[in-house]
Amino acid sequence: MTDFLFTQILSELEDAVGRENCSTREIDKLTHGVDYFWLSRMWADRGLRMPEADVVVSPKNAKETSAVLKIANYYKIPVTTWGGGGGTQGGAIPVNGGIVLDTKRMNEIYDFNEKGMFIECGTGTIYKHLEWVANERGYATMHYPSSLTCSTVGGFLAHRGIGVSSTKYGKIDDMVLGMEVVLPDGTIIETSPAPKHAAGPDLNQIFIGSEGTLGIMTKAQMRIYDIPEERRFRGFLFHNMTDAFDASRELLQKFKPSVMRLYDPAETASLIKKIVGVERDGAFMNIAIEGDAEMVALEEKILLKTFAKYGAEDLGSEYGEKWWKEKITFFYPGNMMDLPQMFGTMDTIAPFDKIEKIYWAMKEAIETNFPQAKFIAHFSHWYEWGAMVYDRFIIDGKDVPQDPHEAMRLHNAVWNCGVRTAIANGGVVNDHHGVGIKLGRLMKEQYGPAMKVFEGLKRELDPNGIMNPFKLGL
Amino acid sequence: MQFSSKCRETADACRFCWMCRHICPIGNVTGQERNTARARALSLSVVMRGAAELDKDIADNVYECALCGACTEDCATGWDPVIFARESRREIVLAGRTPAYIMPMLERFGESGSIYGAEEENDAFAAAAARHAAKTDILLYIGEDARHGAKKNAVKAIELLEKAGVDFTVLCDEPVSGRTLYFLCGDVKEARDAMEAAANTYGEYKKVVFYDAGDAKTAMQEAKELGIDCAAALVSFPAYIAELIDTKALKVNKGDKKYTFQDPAALTRGIEDTVSPRKVLSACGELCDMLLIGKATVLAGQKIMAEYMPETVKGMAAKRWVDCKNMGGSVMVTADSAEYLALEATKPDGCELLTIEEAVLQCL
Ligand SMILES: Cc1cc2nc3c(=O)[nH]c(=O)nc-3n(C[C@H](O)[C@H](O)[C@H](O)COP(=O)(O)OP(=O)(O)OC[C@H]3O[C@@H](n4cnc5c(N)ncnc54)[C@H](O)[C@@H]3O)c2cc1C
Ligand code: SF4
Ligand code: SF4
Repeated sequence: MTDFLFTQILSELEDAVGRENCSTREIDKLTHGVDYFWLSRMWADRGLRMPEADVVVSPKNAKETSAVLKIANYYKIPVTTWGGGGGTQGGAIPVNGGIVLDTKRMNEIYDFNEKGMFIECGTGTIYKHLEWVANERGYATMHYPSSLTCSTVGGFLAHRGIGVSSTKYGKIDDMVLGMEVVLPDGTIIETSPAPKHAAGPDLNQIFIGSEGTLGIMTKAQMRIYDIPEERRFRGFLFHNMTDAFDASRELLQKFKPSVMRLYDPAETASLIKKIVGVERDGAFMNIAIEGDAEMVALEEKILLKTFAKYGAEDLGSEYGEKWWKEKITFFYPGNMMDLPQMFGTMDTIAPFDKIEKIYWAMKEAIETNFPQAKFIAHFSHWYEWGAMVYDRFIIDGKDVPQDPHEAMRLHNAVWNCGVRTAIANGGVVNDHHGVGIKLGRLMKEQYGPAMKVFEGLKRELDPNGIMNPFKLGL
Repeated sequence: MQFSSKCRETADACRFCWMCRHICPIGNVTGQERNTARARALSLSVVMRGAAELDKDIADNVYECALCGACTEDCATGWDPVIFARESRREIVLAGRTPAYIMPMLERFGESGSIYGAEEENDAFAAAAARHAAKTDILLYIGEDARHGAKKNAVKAIELLEKAGVDFTVLCDEPVSGRTLYFLCGDVKEARDAMEAAANTYGEYKKVVFYDAGDAKTAMQEAKELGIDCAAALVSFPAYIAELIDTKALKVNKGDKKYTFQDPAALTRGIEDTVSPRKVLSACGELCDMLLIGKATVLAGQKIMAEYMPETVKGMAAKRWVDCKNMGGSVMVTADSAEYLALEATKPDGCELLTIEEAVLQCL
C-alpha cells in the first residue's frame, strides 16, 4: 500500500475513533503481536518479530466499531479483534496485518439489573472487573477461569470459555442473556431480549465461539448469582480414574457440585503435590459444593456416600480449600510451564462412554510418537453426560529445536497427533480455548461436510473476508 | 543499553504473563494493552534480544508506568515489574533519549531544585511555617508535592501538630527527598545525591515526620536500599497522628461521619503501614472501606505524571470516587498531596474530600 493511501485510511480511522485511540506506534503494534499462544511467545523469545498490525484502533462502543468496520470493508483491510490477548490459540494475532481492533475501551457498565440478575457491560470489560462490580452489590459472576484477571467478557464469549465452577453454573454461553454485535459490514444488531427461546436458532450461539470471524460483540448481558451461603470442599483420592469417572457420573445424576476436578496420577504426583501438598499415588479429585447451607449439608452426605461406594479415600476439606485459594497461583511464572519448554493444552470433551478412552488414546499417541514429551491431564468440567479433559504435553527445553521454524514444525506435529487422536476417538477439536490459527486446519477434519454451514455464514456475513482471516479454519 | 541480570530475569518472567493487568491503575483508565506489566516487559525483552530499538514509543511506555507496585503486590510468585520500569528509565536517560515532556522537569530541577519549578506562593503557609522556623528535635517534612499545589493542606497539618502541643520545625529551605528524580531517572547519581543531602538534613533531627507518604517511602525504603541512611527516627504523618491520639496529646471526639480512606500506595506497600490511618479515622468516626484497600490499594493521583498525562491521572481519581460511592461512601480522606489534588479535581457533587488532618481537626 502506498504511503498516500495508508495515510488516507488512517485519517478515516482517526475520524472514527479519535486520533488518540488510533495508533501506529511501535509499542502498540509490538504488544498486539504476541498473545498467550506458545508459537507467538517462542517467536518473540527467539528474537523475531511476530506479524504486526498496521494500525491499532480502540473504539469506545458499537457505533465507533461499526465505523471502523465500514472503513475496513471499503478498503478490504483485515480486522483482528483483540480483547485481553490472553487466548492460547493465536486467535487475536493479526497474522495478515491490517487493523487490530482492541476492545478494552468498551468497558462501560450500562446496567446493573438486580431484578433480571444480569449486568449489561461493554465486552472489553476485564472479567475480574465485572466480578468486582457484582461483589460490591453482594453478587458474584461465578465465572472463575484462571484468566479471570487477564481476559475480557468478549474474549471469553468469542472462545466459549469456562471457569472452575462450571459444573453448577455453566459455561460462558450459559451465562449470557443478550448481546449487541457489530456485523462485518458495520450493521449493529441485537441478538434477542432473552435466550432459550423458540424464535428460530439462537443468534447468541452463532457469535459465541466465532472468534471474531463473523462480527464483533460489543455489549453483553452477563448473569449474576447470589453469593452462596456456604461453600464446602472435599478432597478424595481414587485408586484409578475409571472409579472416579463412575463415581462422578453417578453423583451428577443426583446433584451438581460447583467445582469437580479430577487429576490423573501424573498431575497428582506433580502439580497437586507441589501446590496443594498431596503426596500420594492415585488420582486426586477435588469437589466443591455450594449454595444454601442446608442443601450443602445434604449434598455433602450424598457425595460422601456415593464416592465411598467407589473406594475413594476421603481426604477432608483441607486440600480442597488450599486448592481453591491457590487455584490461580498455578498459572504464574515460576509455577507454570514456560519457555524454553514447549507445551500446550489439548482440551477436548466427550460423553462418559468415550472420555476415558480419549485420554488413554491421546496419552499413548503423544508418548509413543513423541517420546520426548510428557503427557499430564485433569478433568475439570463435568456434565450429567460427560466431561472435558484438560490434557497437556510438555517437552523439555533441551528437546525443543532452537531453530524457530523447526520448533514450529515439531509443535504443529504434536498438536496434529493429539487432536486427530481426540477426533478419531469421539472428541472434538477443542473444549474451551477455541481454535484460532493454531487448530484451524483441523476444523474441516472434524466437521467434514458440516463445515459448509460455517463457511456459508462466513460468506454471507463477511463476503470480503476481512474478519480475523485464517482463524477458525475460515 | 546495560540491563542488570535481575532486570532481564524479571522482564522475561513478566513478558508472557497477563495475571496482574486488572490491577494497573494506568491500564484501567487508558484501556491500552501497552499499559500492562506484561506489555512493558515484552517490549523490553524484545529490545534486550536486539529485535527492537528502545525507541521513543517504547520509552514513552516506560514513562507510562506509575511505579506504584500494584502489580508487584498482586503477583502470586513475587515478580516486581517496577524493577525493569525504573531501570529502563535510567538507561533511557543515560542514553540521552529522555522524552521531550520529561526534559522540562529535569531542567526545572537544575534551575530551582525541584522538578515542579518555583514553589507555590501561599501566605498562610508562609506564616504557619514561620512560626516553626526555629530548630527543634522534630522536623515536619512537607515535601515537594505539597509545596507545589497543596500548601493549604500543609497549613492544616501544622495547625494539628500545634493543637497537640508538639514543638517542631518546618524548613523554609527544605531539601527535596530525591523521590521525584528517582521516579524520573531511576538510580542515577543526581537522585542519590539528592537523597543523601536530604538524609544529612534529616540527621540533624531526632525525629522526622513526613507529611507525604511518597517522601516517607523514599527516605525509609528506597534510600535505604541504595545504602543511604540517617540516624533520625523517620515516621509518616498518619503514624505520628495515630501516636498523638494514643498518647492523648490529641483528644478526639468521635463523630458520626463515615470516612472512606484512600490508602496511599507509598504508605501501605512502601512502608507497610496499613493500620495507622484507619486507627486515626476510627477515632474520628466510622470507616466505610471501598474495594482495593491496604496493600491492594490503587492510585488516586500522581503529581509527576499529572505533568505529562493529566487526563489519565484525573481518570484514576475519578475511578476512586466511583469505588467510594459504590460502597455507600461520600467522604473520602487522603494522606497524600498528589492524590488530594487529583481527587479534588474530580470530586463528584455531594461528596466531600478531606485530608487526614482535616478529619481530625473537625473532631477536636
Ligand atoms: C493464565 C491463563 C489461564 C487461562 N485459563 C483459562 C480458563 O480457565 N478458562 C478459559 O476458558 N480460558 C482460559 N484461558 C484462555 C483465555 O483466557 C480465554 O481463551 C479467553 O477467552 C480469551 O479472552 P481474551 O479477552 O484474552 O481474548 P483474546 O485473546 O484477545 O481474543 C481471543 C479471540 O476472541 C476474539 N475476540 C475477542 N474479543 C472479541 C469480541 N468482543 N468480539 C468478537 N471476537 C472477539 C479475538 O479475535 C480472538 O479470536 C487462560 C489464559 C491464560 C493466559
Ligand atoms: S508481576 Fe507477576 S502477575 Fe504481573 S506480569 Fe509479572 S509475573 Fe505476571
Ligand atoms: S507499577 Fe503500577 S503503573 Fe506500573 S505496571 Fe505495575 S500496576 Fe501498572
